[in-house]
Amino acid sequence: MSNVPSDWEVVIGLEVHVQLHTRAKVFASSPWGFGKEPNEQVDPVVLGLPGTLPVVNREAVEKSILFGLVVGAEIPEHCAWDRKNYFYPDNPKNYQLTQKDFPVVVGGQVEIELPGASRNVMGEHKFIRIHHAHLEEDVGKLSHAGSGSLVDYNRAGVPLLEIVTEPDLRSSAEAEAFLRSLVAMLTQAGVADCDMEKGQLRCDCNVSVRRRGAEKLGTRTETKNLNSISSVRDTVIYETARQIRELEAGRSITQETRGWNAELARGYVLRDKEDAHDYRYFPDPDIPTLKISRETVTRLAKQVPENLYDRQRRYVEKLGLPYTAASVLVNDRALAEWFEAAVAAHPANPSGIANLVANDLLRDLAASAGAAGAFDEAAPAPVSLASCPIKPAQLAGLVKLTDDGVISKQQAKEVFAEMFKTGQDAAAIVDAKGLRQNSDTGELEKIVQEVIADPAVAKSIAEYRAGNEKAINALKGPIMKRTQGKANPVLIDQLLRKFLA
Amino acid sequence: MADALHTLSAAELGRRLAAGTLTSRALCEALLVRYQAVNEKVGAFTHLDQADVLAQADASDARRKAGQGRGPLEGIPVAIKDNIAVKGQPLTCSSKMLAPLVSPYDSHVAERLRAAGAILYGRLNMDEFAMGSSTENSAIRKTFNPWDLARIPGGSSGGSAAALAAGLVPLSLGSDTGGSIRQPASHCGVVGLKPTYGLISRFGLVAFASSLDQIGPMARSVEDCELLLNALASADARDMTCFGPSDRALTAAGDAKKLRIGIPKGFLGKGVAPEVAAAVNAAVEFYRAQGCAISEVELPSADLAVPTYYVVATAEASSNLGRYDGVRYGHRSTAAGTPVEMMTASRSEGFGPEVKRRILLGTFVLSAGYADAYYVRALRARAKIRAEYLAALAGVDVLLTPTVPTPAFKVGEKASDPLQLYLEDIFTIPANLAGLPAISVPCGKSGHLPVGFHLVGAPLSEAKLLAAGRLFEAAHGYAHQQAAL
Amino acid sequence: MAEGFDIDHLAKLARLSLTAEEKALYSSQLNQILGHFQALADADLPATIDDARVVDEAALRSDEPGPVLGAEAVTRIAPASRDGQISVPRVVDDES
Repeated sequence: MSNVPSDWEVVIGLEVHVQLHTRAKVFASSPWGFGKEPNEQVDPVVLGLPGTLPVVNREAVEKSILFGLVVGAEIPEHCAWDRKNYFYPDNPKNYQLTQKDFPVVVGGQVEIELPGASRNVMGEHKFIRIHHAHLEEDVGKLSHAGSGSLVDYNRAGVPLLEIVTEPDLRSSAEAEAFLRSLVAMLTQAGVADCDMEKGQLRCDCNVSVRRRGAEKLGTRTETKNLNSISSVRDTVIYETARQIRELEAGRSITQETRGWNAELARGYVLRDKEDAHDYRYFPDPDIPTLKISRETVTRLAKQVPENLYDRQRRYVEKLGLPYTAASVLVNDRALAEWFEAAVAAHPANPSGIANLVANDLLRDLAASAGAAGAFDEAAPAPVSLASCPIKPAQLAGLVKLTDDGVISKQQAKEVFAEMFKTGQDAAAIVDAKGLRQNSDTGELEKIVQEVIADPAVAKSIAEYRAGNEKAINALKGPIMKRTQGKANPVLIDQLLRKFLA
Repeated sequence: MADALHTLSAAELGRRLAAGTLTSRALCEALLVRYQAVNEKVGAFTHLDQADVLAQADASDARRKAGQGRGPLEGIPVAIKDNIAVKGQPLTCSSKMLAPLVSPYDSHVAERLRAAGAILYGRLNMDEFAMGSSTENSAIRKTFNPWDLARIPGGSSGGSAAALAAGLVPLSLGSDTGGSIRQPASHCGVVGLKPTYGLISRFGLVAFASSLDQIGPMARSVEDCELLLNALASADARDMTCFGPSDRALTAAGDAKKLRIGIPKGFLGKGVAPEVAAAVNAAVEFYRAQGCAISEVELPSADLAVPTYYVVATAEASSNLGRYDGVRYGHRSTAAGTPVEMMTASRSEGFGPEVKRRILLGTFVLSAGYADAYYVRALRARAKIRAEYLAALAGVDVLLTPTVPTPAFKVGEKASDPLQLYLEDIFTIPANLAGLPAISVPCGKSGHLPVGFHLVGAPLSEAKLLAAGRLFEAAHGYAHQQAAL
Repeated sequence: MAEGFDIDHLAKLARLSLTAEEKALYSSQLNQILGHFQALADADLPATIDDARVVDEAALRSDEPGPVLGAEAVTRIAPASRDGQISVPRVVDDES
C-alpha cells in the first residue's frame, strides 16, 4: 500500500463536509431528502428569489453544538455567519452563507484507532485535534446533458457542518481511521447519517510532505470533493508519492487545488494559487450574531452518547470481552445498547452474550438485510435492530440455559437459529424440541453404573485409573447413547469420576 | 363629489367607506380615471392591473357588506414600490434585469396589507434597485415631479412620492436605504417615514443594502402615514433582523409641545439653499413657540456619514446583486458561450450604469487587500456615528434638520456627477447608519417647489416623530397638498 | 488610498464586461468617489465594532418543513429549462 520513504513525513489535514440530520434546510423551511424529482425541494428562499431572507434552523445549530460536545469542543457564546461571494450556476445567490470568523464549534479532538497487527489485536490509539467546525449551506447539483448543463437546486441549502482538523494526521491509514471514527461519532450521536452513497459526507484533503525532523511544513495541496474513504486514502497515497517524487527531482510543490478521478485513481490540477478566488467575505447582514445560551449547551450535553473507545475499553476491562467482539459491538451504538440490555438480563456471562451478538446475530441480521455502506467499503453493513426478531432478554435467556448446563453449546446454536426464525423464547424452543438435558441424578447414576459394569469399557477404565485422564471420555459416548443425548454432560463427568475414584 | 375623491386623505376615505357613503369600487374607479389622466405626465406607476384592482375592490366591498371589514385600511388603495414583492405582480426594481419577473410570493408587508383589507394598487417607479436620488436611474420610464414636470421627484422612491403628490393614490409604500423615502417626500411635498431598523419586516423587499434598508409608509399627511405604519409594523419570523414580539414596544408619543428638539451644529451651513434654511428655521421657531425646548447638539463625526454609507451600502449591494446572473430568473443574454460568459453578458446587459458603478465600488471595498482600509473602517465609523447619535438622543427627543439641502433639481442636471448626487443624502443617511426612525414633513416652498424638514428620534420613537409632525401640520397648510396638474 | 485600483480585475470579479469608454468613465468616477472617502482613512475610529445586532435562540426557525414552489413554478420563471431542471451553457469543471 503506502510506501513512504522513511526519511519523509506526510502531513495531512482534512475538511469534512457533513450533511446534518434535519428535516428542513438550514436557512429555509424547504424540506430536503434523497431521491426527489429535480427542483421539487426548492422554495423562494432556496432559489434566492429577490427579497427573500435566511432564517437559521434551530435543529441545525443544535446538531452542530452536539457534534462539538461529542468531540469535547468549546461552544462559544456567540456565533455568526458570513457571505462567501463567488459566481457558479449551482450557487443560487452567488454567495454561500458560511461561518468564517465565529464558528459554532471551536477545538475538540477525535480519538482514532489504527489497525492492529491482526484482526483480533487492538492497534495504536491517537487523538486528532479539531480546529473548528462551522455551519453552512450546501449548493445545488449540476449535470451535463448534451451541449449544456442542467441545474437541480434540491441540494441547495441543505445544512452542512464543515469539520476542519488540525494537520495532525500522518498517514493514509490515520486518515482512514479518523474518518471511520468520525462517522461512528456523528451517527451514534444522531448528528448525521453520513450515507456516502447519497453524498452526505464529502472531504477536502490537504497534503504536504517534509523531511523527517523538519519543523517547517511543506507546501500543501488541497484535493477537493472526495466522496469515499477509499478516495481519501488513495488521494493521500497518490499525493504523497507525487510530492516526494517532485521534491526528490529538485522541483518544488505548487500550492494548488486539485481534483481526484476515482476511476483512473489519479489526481489532477483544478487551479493554482494565481487563480485563487477573492471571496470578499463579510458578515451576513441578514443574520444577526447568534447568542448560544449555556442552558442549551447543558441540555445537549445530556444527549452525548458514551464515546466509542471509552465503551470499548469498558467492555474489555470491566466486562472481560475479547477485543474482537468489543470492537465490533462499539461501532454501532444500537447494537452496543442491545448487547448491554442483554447483559443486564444475565450479568454473569457478558462474553457469552457478546459472542452470540457479534457473530451469530450480526450474521443473520446482515443476511436478512442488504449491502454495505458506500463511502466505507470496508465497514460492516449497518444492521437494523428494529426488525430483529430476538429481544435482548431472550438472548440472555439462551446464554443462561447454556451456562446452567440445561443445553449444550452445540444445542444453543440450533436454538438460536430457531429463535431468529420464530422470535420464541429459548426455553420454549428447548421444551418443544425436547432438548432439555437430563439432570435427574438418580436415573443417571443407574445408567452410569450399568455402563461401568459393561466389560466393553474395562480397558478404558484401567487406563483412566492408571492416570490417563482422557480415557474417561470413552465412557461418555455409551451413556449419551442410552439417554438419547439428553444427559447433562457436566453431570455425567461428575458421576463418572465419583464411581471410578 | 366623485371627482374630488383623489384629493381626500386615507383617513377621510376610511370614514366614508365605513359610513357606507362610498364603496371601494367607486373609489378605485375614480382613481383609475385620475390614473388615465395624469400618470403619463408624471410617470409614477410602471404597472397597474385595472381589472385586478377592481376585483380587489369588489371583494373588499363584499367583506364590508358581510360585516367582515378588516379595519381602517379596508378598501383603501395602497400603491407599492416596485422592489416589494406582491404575488402575481411584476417585481422589476425598475431594472431590465428583472423585467421578465412576476413574483411567485408575497412580501410580509403585502400580506399585512391584504390582512388589513387594503387594495394592492399597482407598481411604482424607482431608481433601478433603489440606487439613486432622482428616479432617473429607472430602466423603465422617467418619473417627473408633479410640482414641476421639468424636475426630478427625488428617489429612489420617486414613484411613491410623485403618485401621492399627483393624487394618483392616497397611500404608498417606499423603501429607504439612505433617504430614499424621505428625500422624494421632501421634494414632492408629502410625508415619508423611515421606521426604526427592524420595525417592519424586510421579507419580500428586494435587498439593496440589507443592514440599511427599511420599508416605510408615505402619505399626504402625518395622520395617514401613521395609519399605514400601524398596518405594516408587526413581528415576522422570516426576517431575523425584524424585532420579535417582545422587543418592539414603541415609545409613547407624550406631549408634542414638551418635546426637546436638538439642532445639530453646523448642519444648516452645509450647502443648504437659503429658502430651505428659511423654511426649516421657521419650523424650529414654530416648535419653540409651542413650548418645545430647542438646543444645539454636537455630532462631530457627521462628515463621515456619506463615505461610510457608500462603502457599507455598495459592499452589501455588490453581494446582494450577485444573484442576478440570468440563470434562475430575470434577463438572460442570448450572446453566450460558457456559463461565465452568459452570466457576464446577462449582467452587463441587465444592469444600468449606476448599478454597475455601485457594484464595482462595492466589489472594490470588499476585495482582498482593500477590505480593511475601506469596509472594516466603514463598520468602525458606523459604530462611532451610531454612538454619537444615541448620545445626542439621550439629551433630546428628536433632532431637526432639513431633509435635503436643496429643492428638486432639473431632470438631467446632476446625471453626470454621481458624487454630487450622493451628497443629496447627507442629512438622511445617518438615520440609516444608526438604525433610527426618521420622518420628512412638508414645511414650506422654495418658489413653487416643496421643502421638508427632517426629524430623527431614538430607536422605536416613531410615535414621538409622528406627534411632532401632527403638531406642525395642524398649524400649517401643507397636509393634503397636491400639485395642480 | 485608491492605489492599486484595477478596473479589469474588478469587472471580472463582479462578472461585468465593460467597454473601453465605460472603463475610463468608471475608473475616473470611482477614483473621484474614493478620494472623497479619504475622510474615512483619516478619522480616529474605535478599535472595536460594537455590534448591536445580537439575537438569542428564540429568533431561530423550528425544523418544520414548509411549502415548496415545485419544479413547475421554478422552471416557469427560469429563462431556460428542461425536464424540471434549469438549463445553462455547459459547465466546464471548475470554470469559476
